[in-house]
Amino acid sequence: MIVFRKLLSSTRLTIVGMALLAVGSSLIYGNPAEVPVWVLVAPLSVLAVNLVAAIATNPRINRRPGLLMFHIGLLAVVVLVGVGRLTHYEAHVEMVDGQQFTIDDAIDVKSGPFHSGNLDQVQFAQGPFTVDYQPMLVRGSTRSHIRVRNEKGEWQARVIGDDTPLVIDGYRFYTTFNKGFTPVLTWLPDAGAPVTGTVNMPSYPLFDFKQSNSWTPVGGREIKFWLQLDTGLRQDAAWTLDVRRTGSVLVVNDGDRRVELKPGDETVLDGGRLRYEQLRQWMGYKIFFDPTLRWLFLASILGVIGLASHYWRTFTAVHAATDKITALNSASSAALTNKG
Amino acid sequence: MFSEATEMPWLWAGLAAYALAAFYAFRGIAQQRVLAAGTRSYEGLVLLFMVCGVVLLAVSLGVRWVRIGHGPFVNLFELLVSQLFSLGTIYTLVYWRLPLLRPGAIVSLPIIWVLGLWVLMIEPKDAPFPPTYYNDWLWAHVGFGKIFLAFSMVGSGLAGVILLRWIGWFASWLRHLPADDVLDRYAWRFMVLALVFDSLMLIAGAVWAQDAWGRFWSWDALETSAFLTWLALGGAIHARLAWNVPIRLGAAFILIIFVVAFMTYFSTPFISEAVHKGVI
Repeated sequence: MIVFRKLLSSTRLTIVGMALLAVGSSLIYGNPAEVPVWVLVAPLSVLAVNLVAAIATNPRINRRPGLLMFHIGLLAVVVLVGVGRLTHYEAHVEMVDGQQFTIDDAIDVKSGPFHSGNLDQVQFAQGPFTVDYQPMLVRGSTRSHIRVRNEKGEWQARVIGDDTPLVIDGYRFYTTFNKGFTPVLTWLPDAGAPVTGTVNMPSYPLFDFKQSNSWTPVGGREIKFWLQLDTGLRQDAAWTLDVRRTGSVLVVNDGDRRVELKPGDETVLDGGRLRYEQLRQWMGYKIFFDPTLRWLFLASILGVIGLASHYWRTFTAVHAATDKITALNSASSAALTNKG
Repeated sequence: MFSEATEMPWLWAGLAAYALAAFYAFRGIAQQRVLAAGTRSYEGLVLLFMVCGVVLLAVSLGVRWVRIGHGPFVNLFELLVSQLFSLGTIYTLVYWRLPLLRPGAIVSLPIIWVLGLWVLMIEPKDAPFPPTYYNDWLWAHVGFGKIFLAFSMVGSGLAGVILLRWIGWFASWLRHLPADDVLDRYAWRFMVLALVFDSLMLIAGAVWAQDAWGRFWSWDALETSAFLTWLALGGAIHARLAWNVPIRLGAAFILIIFVVAFMTYFSTPFISEAVHKGVI
């Protein structure tokens, strides 16, 4: 039993665990789909067991407050990362100007098996946004205007973008490079009620050359179209992506017929009429939730403070000892020189 | 107000000052071989030229900052010049405050000069400042990283002296310097200190990445490389505790860790296509 405990808490096992973790880290680089997460989980488990055993039994750690704090901090980080993976939530959402967020809008959802949160209660609505570009299409600041419903039920205006996410109930919404235009279309069938819908066009300006899409209104047939945009985009000059400064023509392909619609225009198609109401924008958001973030920060900072305090105590002691040795060496050298 | 032509002479003058500091460090060690131990008149000159180099590089960085409107955080040229400044500043402080460690200058100053030669071969292009770089955590991340690298370099300087003593020609040059065990103890002190700042760099970087890209860790090239450096440093410190690692082997460990850290800084961000590559 004692031998087993010694083995579990040994520094040699720490080194083996670290070596395995180094291998695992190298394999997981770039997050390749074919590499299982076990390449990290296995060495981290070994290190966690080793840390627990060392903290409990190794007097070189548990009798030194700084080192103890550092190792507990490390253990806490390992445990919290594990808890974070089990409870996290990540997704994307495309929000059109005027749209209110609902949980059903989230796409590419990845979440831990124990995720539980209040995403269904998150309430915010998308407004217009602008993105600055420097010459050669180097992306600058993104300013996304949104409205958030507070506890009193009032809508509050906010501007988010780049490194300023919207944070509600622990869910963090980040603007992304993925954004574009959205024509608002109304289908007025010969018989029945009109249907209004939005169609998100491919990301702009990334797919400036490929602004085509199609729409199938409820009870109608597929309508193919492309969007001719006048955004003022120039490669050699600074430019701002802003729907309010953008002209657009919706080009509808109806068999052999080509129809150009400006906002407010409509055309007759087989079975009804299509009206191009207006041009809006859509913004792609990344949603991130990890309830351990704050605790991870705290645990890692406390760990480093522990290591620093241990260092300070040890260094001052060794510094004094080394100075003493050096002084003694100098004294003996001087004595030898005098003798000579 | 300023042009590229204004900042470059300050940079060249700063590099020249570092070169003179390195020259006097070598000359001093060579003189000490023939003079009595403890004769250290050259150290004042080394310190003087180091201070001059730091001041001249600060002017070069300042002029460029005013000209392009942002700090030296984006491209390789800016990264190298700012490292020359920060490594020089921290090394000068260590050289001034810890006389016992001054012999390490014959290794540390040439390391600084490797960066100096490299920067001379790079075009001093301007690069746009990404919007996610207007984040205060950038300063913490970069600042801690610079202190980490500087302390690793000090440790490597001492480790380099230990290893150079192995070579017959250098052995006679360096025999008046403190004993290997003294240098070894100090070298590892600096490596533990480097671990503290490496950890702080990783923490600050994770907080910044969470704000900037919506994730605190993603195993991109730079993150993986930085984590491997941290593991190597932590592993080496544990190995030294677990086994009676010979002083020269320990010194070799230190140099290897420094090389890994150096690669993380100066090559990984610029060969990777991942988001975390300097320009977003």
